[in-house]
Amino acid sequence: MTGSTLLVLSVGLPWALAAALALLDGRRAWVGWLAAAGLAASFVSTVALGFRVFREGPVEVVMGGWPEGVGIVLRADLLGVVFAAVSVGVILASLAYEVLVGVRSRTFPALILFVAAGLSGLCLTGDIFNFYVFFEISMTAAYVLAGYREQDYQVRGAFIFAVVNLLGSVLFLIAVAALYHVTGTLEMQAVAEEARDVNPNSLITIAATIFVAFSLKLGLFPFHFWLPAVYVGSHASVAAILSGALANIGNYGLLRFGGYILSEELRIGAVAVLILGSTSIVYGALQAVSRHETTEVLAYSAIGQVGYILVALGIGGPIGFSAAVIYAVVNSLNKALLFLVARLRGSLVGAAFAVGAFSVAGVPPAAGFVSKIAVFKAGLAADGVGWAVALVALIFLGSALSFVYMFQVYQRLFLAREPQGSYPKEKTSPRAARALVIALAALVLVVGFWPEPLLVLSEEAAAALTGSTGGGS
Amino acid sequence: MILAVSLVVATVFGSGAFLVLQRDIFRVVVGLVLISNSAFLFIIAAGLTRGAPPILSLPEGEAVSDPLVQAMALTALVISSSVVALLLSLIYRIYTSHDTVDLSVLSEVEMRDAEALEREEDPEREEEPKEEPGQEELEEGPR
Repeated sequence: MTGSTLLVLSVGLPWALAAALALLDGRRAWVGWLAAAGLAASFVSTVALGFRVFREGPVEVVMGGWPEGVGIVLRADLLGVVFAAVSVGVILASLAYEVLVGVRSRTFPALILFVAAGLSGLCLTGDIFNFYVFFEISMTAAYVLAGYREQDYQVRGAFIFAVVNLLGSVLFLIAVAALYHVTGTLEMQAVAEEARDVNPNSLITIAATIFVAFSLKLGLFPFHFWLPAVYVGSHASVAAILSGALANIGNYGLLRFGGYILSEELRIGAVAVLILGSTSIVYGALQAVSRHETTEVLAYSAIGQVGYILVALGIGGPIGFSAAVIYAVVNSLNKALLFLVARLRGSLVGAAFAVGAFSVAGVPPAAGFVSKIAVFKAGLAADGVGWAVALVALIFLGSALSFVYMFQVYQRLFLAREPQGSYPKEKTSPRAARALVIALAALVLVVGFWPEPLLVLSEEAAAALTGSTGGGS
Repeated sequence: MILAVSLVVATVFGSGAFLVLQRDIFRVVVGLVLISNSAFLFIIAAGLTRGAPPILSLPEGEAVSDPLVQAMALTALVISSSVVALLLSLIYRIYTSHDTVDLSVLSEVEMRDAEALEREEDPEREEEPKEEPGQEELEEGPR
């Protein structure tokens, strides 16, 4: 198969299937498995596309048979493919989990597929307006998903989620229009080239707007207010998708727009980015330590983890960007694993949770160690000894605090003699669901033991960002 | 012209922001509609050029107005109207279960739920068995 076929398949397959499945009753198991099969096919094609991009360079398709420069472009470079594969993989795991415990809504599989279609689309598009359209596709599906199971608190959470993120989307839309106004084009490469000749005074406002829009989606420190309310209430598989896959919109968007299109403005604003990231790390960790409920701890932990990605982004350059990619990938896996495992009971579930906890805290055998090391290295590469020392100290502090809160949760869930909470210990969860989370935990361990592929991928992905803009800082 | 357009965009955005900060969640959604509309105006303003209609075949040597901004505004309009429809249905769902659309009442309920969470009760687990009694016949497949 050619690269362009693979590219169209990765985006188009979940999309077409989602439209078809929306007509069927998603509560039937076969519909769920059909959706999972389609998603798996899209995942395989994304991975195959990734191999091709890795060997032969970026793949580009102009949609609708238009000549180049006129039609809308789908463009797969390594950064996009890595994020698309991770997001679709996490969504696939969550969908399989939900089908195993039993889907309770007609539309659930179709909505999940829409989220996947939007996410892989926005990672593989080469057009900033299409980026907006794709992320609205997945966000809109996610608004509905946040209310999945329709408990009152979940519907309220969905409302908060939709209102706040709609505001973020509008801000991003305004920034897209402004970018179009100053550069006269919507194609990412052309925008990046044109932006170098534009007066930074007008671009810095646009960059700040984009930064705020993505920070709202990520739940970064001053924009985090909505995040706990949504994550705590939502159902396990939905929470895994929100924090494991949907947050990648923010991660990828910040890397693509900050590291590639507006790289000069990111360099100007680096100090602000570093300070916000550091505040996020400390704030998230401290709040997480003070909380009791598992999902609440995980929600605040998500705020803290985003901070590391932002710090890596603020340091910039090939080292910083590749650290951000590694951290985002590992963080997606961790969050998916932890949210899925938190409500299960039975043998080996505790072990799977412990692996996730180790990974968040950055303890060696788990993948989190690799990502923490990458951020450490990036911290040492920061300009000036003062910054380097402060950042490394901060990262160490954050890791220590995350160790504390993760094991508080572990103790409460799996070691306490009387299992607290209304869910009795005798009632073990379905074996297949447990097998799934154990497989996820094994994946986290494998990445930790054999990190070379991830390291090479992230370096190449960062090179895709900095190489074409002339080396970064 | 630039001043006039920016004043209009600012006024629409400002009134939208004012409504978003109200207590009534219905007004919040109307405010969001206004804010999205200010974004559409901004898109149109980003490529506001006067010229012949951009339809093939293009007139020779004459300025053509920019079709791209209109396409963008139209796309964004469709997206925002569907999201607003979704938000309105969420409001209706909240209204049917809480009998109110007042944020202060809703946040009181939220506080009560949060306290329940602090006592480590898991409301979802408790309420699950009650809903949808016809579950069994649908779950034959996976076992």
